[in-house]
Amino acid sequence: MMKRTLPLLATLGWRNLWRHPKRTFVILFAITLGVWFMVISAGMMVGIIEQQVRDTIFNLTGHAQIHNPEYRDDPAIEHSMPPPTPAMLEILNSPKVKQWSSRVRLPAVVMSERESRGVTLVGIDPKHEQGLSLIGEPVVEGRALESIDDDGIVIGRRMAEKLETRVGKRIVVMSQNKNKEVADRGFRIVGLYRAELESTETAYVFTGRKTAQKLLGLNDDLSEIALITYSRDGLEPLVASLRQAAPTLETKSWKELEPLMVSALKVYDNFMIIWYLIIFGAMAFGLTNTMLMAIFERTREIGLFQALGMRPRYIVGQVLMETFILLLIGVALGNLTGWFTSDVIFADGIDLTEFARGMESFQMSSIMRFQLEARDLITINLMVIVLGLLASLYPALKAARYVPVEAITRT
Amino acid sequence: MFPRITRTTMLTALTVFNLASIAPAQALDAAAIIKAAMDQWRGTSSHSTMSMTIHRPDWERTMVMEGWTAGDKKSLVRVLEPKKDAGNGTLLIGDNMWTFSPKVNRVIKIPSSMMNQSWMGSDFSNKDIARSADIIDQYHHSLLETQTADGHKVYVIQSVPKEDAPVVWGKEVLRIRDDYVLLEHTFFDQDMKPVKRMKTSKVGMMGGRMVALQERMAKIETKDEYTEFKMLSAKFDISVPGSTFTLSNLRNPRF
Repeated sequence: MMKRTLPLLATLGWRNLWRHPKRTFVILFAITLGVWFMVISAGMMVGIIEQQVRDTIFNLTGHAQIHNPEYRDDPAIEHSMPPPTPAMLEILNSPKVKQWSSRVRLPAVVMSERESRGVTLVGIDPKHEQGLSLIGEPVVEGRALESIDDDGIVIGRRMAEKLETRVGKRIVVMSQNKNKEVADRGFRIVGLYRAELESTETAYVFTGRKTAQKLLGLNDDLSEIALITYSRDGLEPLVASLRQAAPTLETKSWKELEPLMVSALKVYDNFMIIWYLIIFGAMAFGLTNTMLMAIFERTREIGLFQALGMRPRYIVGQVLMETFILLLIGVALGNLTGWFTSDVIFADGIDLTEFARGMESFQMSSIMRFQLEARDLITINLMVIVLGLLASLYPALKAARYVPVEAITRT
Repeated sequence: MFPRITRTTMLTALTVFNLASIAPAQALDAAAIIKAAMDQWRGTSSHSTMSMTIHRPDWERTMVMEGWTAGDKKSLVRVLEPKKDAGNGTLLIGDNMWTFSPKVNRVIKIPSSMMNQSWMGSDFSNKDIARSADIIDQYHHSLLETQTADGHKVYVIQSVPKEDAPVVWGKEVLRIRDDYVLLEHTFFDQDMKPVKRMKTSKVGMMGGRMVALQERMAKIETKDEYTEFKMLSAKFDISVPGSTFTLSNLRNPRF
């Protein structure tokens, strides 16, 4: 029976919809606008979050890190770790790991003729940082570090401004060596790197790992090993196997290393649901009202249907079908315009360079990109259709409860 | 800080210099002159009092300090006046530096992060105080010219830091008199523009030695901000007990 009634209801719904095209267009516009707004706000949110997560991971975090268990609480030289053992190397060099690198990463002070600043001195293996962190990217000025015993230094673009220095000049790096004595030496600035955030550019200075180890009297000891895989999710088995291979060291995934980021992700997710509900709330009143109007208009007709023997549930079905078609068109248009806005009009992102300084306090980069995720689109569409049908249930039930005689005689 | 020169070093230095002035190896004699001047400046052992005036456009303060040195690795300075700073001390052994303040009753080892901070509010950084002897082996020295002033020969020496030396300056130019009194020490940035200058304004005999009695350190751009040292008394070639340069003596003065 369903097989025959559904097409019938669909035909009825479709025709009912176009009895008053102007009214339908108005409510269609409202639905489209609502869905469009949900889609682009989701795109914007995901874009911002995605950027933040990527920046965090790229900002020397990686997907997982190995440390001395004390290092994260107190990144001091005495909390260094030995170079990786063969058991660890076996995992690190396995195909699951896309790139890994060992680093020396300790607090230091840099000085130019005019300024001095606290920084983190990072001794890197330049070849292995490619694709793993921001220092693997090409530098904006000068040259990048070339090998682990490169004795040049690469500093941030903004750092060079703050120190009133530039490529080719020397700066002094001061830190503490293994015997807690002052360890210092001059470094020639060979390149300047850029990062999304100014705070990153002033936070790190980079040199070859061997050079840093020599300066600090570390021999082959390291501060950390960072690695990146092909996906930032599902890292647990890899982390567990590394923990097993290095029981005295601490292995943590980025989710454990950056708990703030992870909780921010959760907050955003919940916030978006509330946001959708607010937009939908405004839309729902319009929808209910429109459908109610349509029912009142057709009182006599609905009474006639009932008098001819149409069951109340088909009356309900008829109204719901009408709403469903309306929602389907609205959602389709909303998605289309949303996609057009985010992927065609603002395909290159929105340039916020002018407000860059203000945005930095929110850890946002200066170019904002939209990112539409299937998951969000499905959530929005399902939510609008299901809740939209619920909103039209009231007019539908009202129509089904008409007493035929009264309905027919109403003028 | 503490002038000292022994007869032997002076003689050796003079001989080296005299020989070198004929020989073409100018780098060698320039280094020797600086070494002699630094030996004069720090010495092997000394006990002195001096005043330090920190001048700023809107205020000025003067401290009187007492200092001991032994060799070029150990020194101790203690503030005598004003009363509220009396007892503040700085102990230097090699590259390590400790300070003590009676008010907090605690000895603090100066960590590397504080090395670039000002020493007792002056125009000298902790690093300047701790490391001034490094100029001898961490630079390439060359004799630029020999001038004559007040009946003395004055050597103008340029010192360029070695590539990995922990020095931010592009070069330093020293003017040293033929009796090894440092007359002027100018620090240039890496664009070779002068940044700050220490200038000796009075030279005289004290403790049997010819030493700089008054010198002033000032930034080139802000001439009305300076730190001036005046030597009040000095004794050289005295025996300073080894226990002077200990943390316990820094905390509880016995000398």
